[in-house]
Amino acid sequence: MKWLSPLLFSSVVRGLVACALAAIVIATLDSAAHDVMAQAPFGGPRPLPEQEIGGLVGWILTKQSEFYREISSALRAAKSDGSAVWSLLGISFAYGIFHAAGPGHGKAVISSYLVANQETARRGIALSFASALMQSLVAVAIVTVCAWLLNATAKTMCGAEKAIEIGSYALIAAFGAGLVWTKGGSFMRALQTPRPEPALAAAGHDHHHDHDHDHHHGDGHVHDAHCGHSHGPEPSELAGPGGWRRGLAAILTVGIRPCSGAILVLVFALAQGLFWAGIAATLVMGLGTAITVAAIAVIAVSAKDLARRVSAARDSNGVLVMRGIEFGAAGLVLLFGSALLLGYIAAERVTCM
Amino acid sequence: MKRLIEVRRPLDVKAALRLLPALLLAWLLGASAAEGHPHVWITSTSELIYAPDGTLTGVRHAWTFDEMFAAYALQGIETKTKGAYSRDELAPLAQVNVESLKEYAYFTFAKADGKKEKFNEPVDYFLEYKDDALTLHFTLPLKAPFKAKALTLEVFDPTIFIDFKFAEKDPVKLVGAPEGCRLKFQRPNDGSASAQQLNEQTFMNGGENSNYGAMFANKITVDCP
Repeated sequence: MKWLSPLLFSSVVRGLVACALAAIVIATLDSAAHDVMAQAPFGGPRPLPEQEIGGLVGWILTKQSEFYREISSALRAAKSDGSAVWSLLGISFAYGIFHAAGPGHGKAVISSYLVANQETARRGIALSFASALMQSLVAVAIVTVCAWLLNATAKTMCGAEKAIEIGSYALIAAFGAGLVWTKGGSFMRALQTPRPEPALAAAGHDHHHDHDHDHHHGDGHVHDAHCGHSHGPEPSELAGPGGWRRGLAAILTVGIRPCSGAILVLVFALAQGLFWAGIAATLVMGLGTAITVAAIAVIAVSAKDLARRVSAARDSNGVLVMRGIEFGAAGLVLLFGSALLLGYIAAERVTCM
Repeated sequence: MKRLIEVRRPLDVKAALRLLPALLLAWLLGASAAEGHPHVWITSTSELIYAPDGTLTGVRHAWTFDEMFAAYALQGIETKTKGAYSRDELAPLAQVNVESLKEYAYFTFAKADGKKEKFNEPVDYFLEYKDDALTLHFTLPLKAPFKAKALTLEVFDPTIFIDFKFAEKDPVKLVGAPEGCRLKFQRPNDGSASAQQLNEQTFMNGGENSNYGAMFANKITVDCP
């Protein structure tokens, strides 16, 4: 039995290394972003010294707050001075970037979805942009229909927002449940597989890989149009053309809920007689949001690639590890959706008051 | 060879489990790192109302909303003259306001000598539209009026969706307070400094349920002999 111990040791070490790497990536990102951004926050005034702010989080909070407040004055200025529209758009873009770092905007859902599946960074970026665009369009649609066309009161509009909010939580939970169902299946099969399987070999493991992408069809919202396509687990293959529809569930889940800030900006713009400027601001805000969400999605995908390389590439049991991670990510989406639905965690409040 | 793999498998499950906390951490940081930010700004003036015998009976607030939220709140309200809103025209909205505020305990938290005190539903509430500003007036009667040596009254939104700022001039007034009572008013650490105590740990520890919003509290204290 003695000969086992080096292997045992290397296994433990690999796990620890992967974990440590992830922790380092996160820590570095935080401090690096803090350092870089503290130098040149969009040419604005230098923020307060570090010890007074308390890390990246406090700084983001302060910044998004500032940008948000500036939107209303920029809109007001645009009423008399057309060129103020440009600064309105600039501020909205910056606000979008900062605001997406806060709760909502599907960072958790998209990242977990990407981790749970064999997805590429490029797909992650596409998903982020598509869902952010949908979020903007939903906000514009709500205000156009409720406020502009129907001239409904805030109470009615807020009722619509609340209904969409609850629906979006249910969607997240359902989306998570779908992922868990299929990912749980492949995880269990990986656990039970008596024979080791090389992680990246595509041939000869038909049943395994079949299940592996079966889940895409099991999401409930996705159709099985590409059943014949990808039989190998290579991410690049899976992300090929035609795979688009798979991401649709993720886009819908994330994009259905507009951000409260956008709604307020739109209604204010409408009241100022500058609805078009409000719509432009909302779209640009969505662009900023997409950039932040895409960045986080890319980090999530890279983290998984890293995990794959560290703990799976040369090891037959890597399959099991990866299925475990995917299953965990799927579970997080379900947990997240349920917690939102049951009120254990609160996302950004709707503007009812 | 087969045996070797079987023995090793549980270890890799452990390795996977070790990866999960890191993933969870990354996810949590992404999901709840920042608790959002204020979307509504309220400028408040408050009066503490005392009965002739010196018991505190309630709190009277006047909350002026920022222009963006005012535009949202006023959306769809029919008026006789465009841009002018009478008290009657605003009455249904005022009703909605005070009803929705209940869920948030009116953002007003009182303590008499350290003991929490509760408020009844608002009375005498109305909205006023003046100089392009929308102000909600309402009185919060205490469930059990009390005399206290040390009264503290905090006004804030724990979720910081609403930012409460008291007026520069006469933020707080005592109405009919017994002689010798001393009023102290403390603003939250203003502006960006309010993020002073924030760090990642704050968020990891409790998120929404933590008392993190309390650092944005406006604290009124009244010490009576």
